[in-house]
Amino acid sequence: MAVKIKTKYGLIDISNNVIATVVGASATANYGIVGMASKNALRDGVYDILNRENYKRGVVVRSKENEIVVDVYIIVGYGLKISEVSRNVQSSVKYNLQQQLGIHTKAVNVIVHGVKILDE
Amino acid sequence: MAVTEVNSDQFRAMVRVANHRMSKNADFVNSLNVFPVPDGDTGTNMSLTIESGAQAVGSNNSTKIGDLTKSFSKGMLMGARGNSGVISSQLFRGFYKATEKYEVLTAQQLADAFQNGVNAAYKAVMKPVEGTILTVAREGAQAGENRASETDDAVEIMKAVVEGAKKALASTPDLLPVLKQVGVVDSGGQGLLFIYEGFLEGLSGEKSSDSYQPDSVEMDEMVNAAHHQSVQGQLATADIKNGYCTEIMVDLQADVPDKQPFDLDKFREHLSNLGDSLLAVSDGEVAKVHVHTEHPGAVFNYGAQFGQLGKIKIDDMRIQHESIIDKDQSDEKPVDFAVIAVCSGNGIRKLFTSLGVNRIISGGQTMNPSTQDIIDAIKKSGAKRAILLPNNGNIVMAAKQAAEVSSIPVGIVPSKTISQGMTAMLSFNPDATVEENVTNMTDELSSVKSGEVTKAIRDSEINGVSIKKNDYLGIIDGDISIDRSDLVDAAAAMVDEMLDEDSEIITVMYGRDTNKRTAKKVVKKLQAEHDDLEFEIHDGGQPVYYFLISVE
Repeated sequence: MAVKIKTKYGLIDISNNVIATVVGASATANYGIVGMASKNALRDGVYDILNRENYKRGVVVRSKENEIVVDVYIIVGYGLKISEVSRNVQSSVKYNLQQQLGIHTKAVNVIVHGVKILDE
Repeated sequence: MAVTEVNSDQFRAMVRVANHRMSKNADFVNSLNVFPVPDGDTGTNMSLTIESGAQAVGSNNSTKIGDLTKSFSKGMLMGARGNSGVISSQLFRGFYKATEKYEVLTAQQLADAFQNGVNAAYKAVMKPVEGTILTVAREGAQAGENRASETDDAVEIMKAVVEGAKKALASTPDLLPVLKQVGVVDSGGQGLLFIYEGFLEGLSGEKSSDSYQPDSVEMDEMVNAAHHQSVQGQLATADIKNGYCTEIMVDLQADVPDKQPFDLDKFREHLSNLGDSLLAVSDGEVAKVHVHTEHPGAVFNYGAQFGQLGKIKIDDMRIQHESIIDKDQSDEKPVDFAVIAVCSGNGIRKLFTSLGVNRIISGGQTMNPSTQDIIDAIKKSGAKRAILLPNNGNIVMAAKQAAEVSSIPVGIVPSKTISQGMTAMLSFNPDATVEENVTNMTDELSSVKSGEVTKAIRDSEINGVSIKKNDYLGIIDGDISIDRSDLVDAAAAMVDEMLDEDSEIITVMYGRDTNKRTAKKVVKKLQAEHDDLEFEIHDGGQPVYYFLISVE
């Protein structure tokens, strides 16, 4: 499934891959996110070596009739207010999808998959 | 006075002044907020974050500096709000980690603590964005470290940190393109600078001006950001109450008749009553004002008392706003059978939407939408069939015309008031035909009595009621029936007239010119006499009418 936008010139089809990339990029730009958790450890292990900027990792996009729901799996640094970091992720993901792709997001679910202790 | 060791009392003072300074200037910081999400809350968030830290320090009686920085860090962590709040909390977590063992802080230790804060802050982010609070913190700490090799005076270190942060802040637009586009410095960075300036003031004991006074260049930045925030759809769901973006410059040195002495605080206070998004600065020679108001003329008149008006600018923001709303609505998926209602007021829009209305046309008493507006709304709904609720006697005509020229079947339910429109909506059935719906919904109109409370604009006599200017009028189903000098009296007396033995539910929607408290007073007054009735209060947010009351 993908999101389709009709204009007077024709159809714009935005694949879920693109959406996932935008979500990943805007989530990881948030302060407090030290990593994205993998949905698939083995495959992403290989990705890690091949392609460090794999923003799609840890993002699940579900779209239905031009409404999308995204799940974002994040790892947060220890010593931060996790609820607030998650809220920031939700707000920036929603904003960036609207800004960059013109997509209305029905829900941004943040799954805090892990906490990483930062050496201090 | 040199301070070679920062003790716990001094640290307390630093935190206290920083908190004070941040909260005083939160609005200014809010006004700069364009990144990462332009929602205008950076200042509020940072202020709440540091306040939580300051409270934790205040309730810790220890004289050991490490204990206080721990409380500060913990308080900020607990109270962290927004991106910049989270970053600040991490900065001071690093600050605390570097100082936890110390009783007092030397100049070098203070500089190291700032540096450690920055190190810690950079660890918790995958892709640090330059041109933000992080840049400002880093450059500030760097300047502090550099100075530490030359002096053992903590005040000098703090001064260097402030100067470094200030320089870095000025460079943020060069590092972050969105800031340059909009023409502002980073809001979080500005907030951090206020905190650092507060530290310096608390440490040195030198009192600087309480509230920061933006200069003319920063004023432009604030104006830019204010518009960027609203353009980005942050205001899109709210009705614009103040429709004209008004800017004036007043030459305070020019002579005008009856010239009044200029006082910026009073000036600002007066203008703040005329509108919102107020920005006003003055260098003593020229005052510059930006305000969103419904009455640009009043702003001009007021400004002209203090000097010659130069450079006047008015923009109609409703035009911009409508295009934003239309854009938002076009994102919705088209429905087969649309219900389109005319109304105004944020709360009433919401009530209608929650009842199942698909599209709202802004309008009502004193601002009737044109036939074209209604045709456009029908087209944009993308529906195959539609029902129109004009909700005002004066709009029924335009609605009928629109229905005639529309390419899809459109039924008109001649609702004359908001209350009627809402009641009619209850019997809408998307599976029935247009005609069936019109019949059923029109039948419902008579089951509700509508009352409206507004203010008389001149002396008059109608229906045997003598009306005095500025009295409150109760209008029952279109007829003026009540005239009282007190708003609550007028509303209660009007409801009294509307009641009969079948009345069960009273719904009160209060408008934007009154408030919930007043609405509650009305309900209390009525409840005292009628204990068998049910009351509901809603925030209607409508203009013109103080109360819209329906009796069913």
